[in-house]
Amino acid sequence: MTLRAIANVRDALASRPAEIEAARKQGAKVIGWFGYATPIEIIHALGLIPIRLGRGGDDRLVEIGARYISNQNCVFLRASIGLFAEKNDVYVKNVDAVAIDGTCLQMYRMADLLDYYFKVKTVVLCVPRTFQTAGARAYFHRELQWFVHELEEIAGTPLDPEKLAESVALYSSIRNTTRELYHHVSRGRLSLTWRELYEAVHAGYYLSPEKYASLLHELLARVEHGENTVAASDGPRIMLSGSVLAPGDTKLIEIIEQAGGRVVVDDLWSGLSPSLVRINEPTVTGIADAYMDRVPHAAQPHLDRQTDHRLANMMRLVRESNVDGVIYHTLRYCDPFTFKAVEVKEVLGNEGIPMIEIHTEYAGSDTEAIRTRVEAFIELLTSRGCRPGQPVAEVRV
Amino acid sequence: MCQSASEPAFAGIDVGSLTTKAVIISNDGIAGSGVVPTGVRPEESGPEVFRIALKAANLSEEDVAYLVATGYGRVSSDYADKTVTEITCHARGAYYLHPATRTIIDMGGQDCKVIRVNGEGNVTDFAMNDKCAAGTGRFLEVMSGVFKVDINEFGPMALRATDVVPISSTCTVFAESEVISLIARGELPENIISGIHSAISNRIAGMAARVGVEGDVFFSGGVAKNAGMKAALERSLRSSITVPAFDPQLVGALGAAVIAETTGRKAGA
Repeated sequence: MTLRAIANVRDALASRPAEIEAARKQGAKVIGWFGYATPIEIIHALGLIPIRLGRGGDDRLVEIGARYISNQNCVFLRASIGLFAEKNDVYVKNVDAVAIDGTCLQMYRMADLLDYYFKVKTVVLCVPRTFQTAGARAYFHRELQWFVHELEEIAGTPLDPEKLAESVALYSSIRNTTRELYHHVSRGRLSLTWRELYEAVHAGYYLSPEKYASLLHELLARVEHGENTVAASDGPRIMLSGSVLAPGDTKLIEIIEQAGGRVVVDDLWSGLSPSLVRINEPTVTGIADAYMDRVPHAAQPHLDRQTDHRLANMMRLVRESNVDGVIYHTLRYCDPFTFKAVEVKEVLGNEGIPMIEIHTEYAGSDTEAIRTRVEAFIELLTSRGCRPGQPVAEVRV
Repeated sequence: MCQSASEPAFAGIDVGSLTTKAVIISNDGIAGSGVVPTGVRPEESGPEVFRIALKAANLSEEDVAYLVATGYGRVSSDYADKTVTEITCHARGAYYLHPATRTIIDMGGQDCKVIRVNGEGNVTDFAMNDKCAAGTGRFLEVMSGVFKVDINEFGPMALRATDVVPISSTCTVFAESEVISLIARGELPENIISGIHSAISNRIAGMAARVGVEGDVFFSGGVAKNAGMKAALERSLRSSITVPAFDPQLVGALGAAVIAETTGRKAGA
């Protein structure tokens, strides 16, 4: 049974487009954003409304996007361009500028396309290929200062250190609460499923952070109170990893559920990962450091098995969440994650954790082929003696 | 399924993209089998081939205690007690026939898979082809059509090659045009056909490398009847391959029947 707090999140989301339109009429400006290192606290501190853009699961949008970019480019990228070409999305219709960071080079190139074809004002935050050298860190510090300057021009006001500290505190609260909720979801008894939490995380793309923080706190309070607690369903405990699973892209999630698998944790760019940013010092430099020190994106190329704490983070989540197997989702032409698939499989295999790569796109034509792979993977896990309701270690993500 | 007073039998039905297969097993081993075209109504081909297999086994439906369906058409098999993926079923069928099997290559009508199994016949890893006909029976059918050669003759022709003409494409459409241009260039059909088999086997070897090839390699699926493909795979994998004396097309259905027996007996059949 769905918690009332989740229903409240849905209600808030339903009224959000009208709120944004009303705010814009009052002079507010909306910054749509894409990427992995775009510091939303800075956007918010400047009085701008940050909205994370992009939708998945709609092959029609992919085809529209392919009128402007090669069909050998990432499916999510093509769908995102399709959103701007079509301009029916309630949030895309209301953006005044788009902020993109260069972590994923395909997303970085999207800024050119939005500017060239759709005359969208874009602000691009350049990101070094590695954060491990002093030169690269100094470069990112300078780039973020430039990024702030560009946003100040859009906002028509300089960045106020006090407001920045308030925004950092607000987003830190959201991230802490999200990590706590993930902790509860990965436990044996639950009143909130991973699917519901994932939905709540996506609501945060659009809601005002003040409202969203309040809704998440309510959700956490109800979960901690044990409201609607039920025994965990049967089935192997699955971790989802890999490419973005954007709002609307539910094909794989539904197939896993229908096959009897139970997602208990993820490390997705569109899931837990943004909540792993920890800002110690509420300044532009402190924010830059926090984004550089977070779990890196698979697109960061200068990573090896000793220094890639993305892999270390994955293994920690696997152990702490008592994961039976990992489903590694790769979107067609999403190079960062497809390049890493074999490495991830080997690292997990060395720990005795099976992994399957599911390579897909937004078309429905591969649904049954994916179903066979996922069902076979669940059968594989079951044959290894996976038992539902296994005692689960404490998870602090 | 109902259970009669006599020793029960167990059935597996594999509803594949091109053919539907059934195998019935009992205490005496494999009691009967059957193959029919799947056609456009997989929910009907299953019961049809079940009746054929029952007749071959001289049994009635009431003699079968448990039935497992597999294959892409398993989703529309209301008649089954349980459904299991063809990956698990091929593994179990191969292990039943040849317990030393640790790697299985299955080439069916519309997909191709490499499966690793452990010493208990359980799947430990697998890989499947993408949503593409390369490496499937359908690819070979289209290619044999280009030469106007019966599919059963395609493999033997490859074995008569004096040279291997490289084929660069495993895309069915592109390979067809490439083959036509090679014929026009005057290349020997046998050599081109050998190249076709090599192109597929090299692709499968790449897929096999992702799961690792160890132990005895077992070849199942309808394409396993093709001696030319067996030879090409042995070259690409640098390993000998076992093709069962039992019809390799029936290995998935056999595995389903084996699982039916295990599950049915646990349930008290």
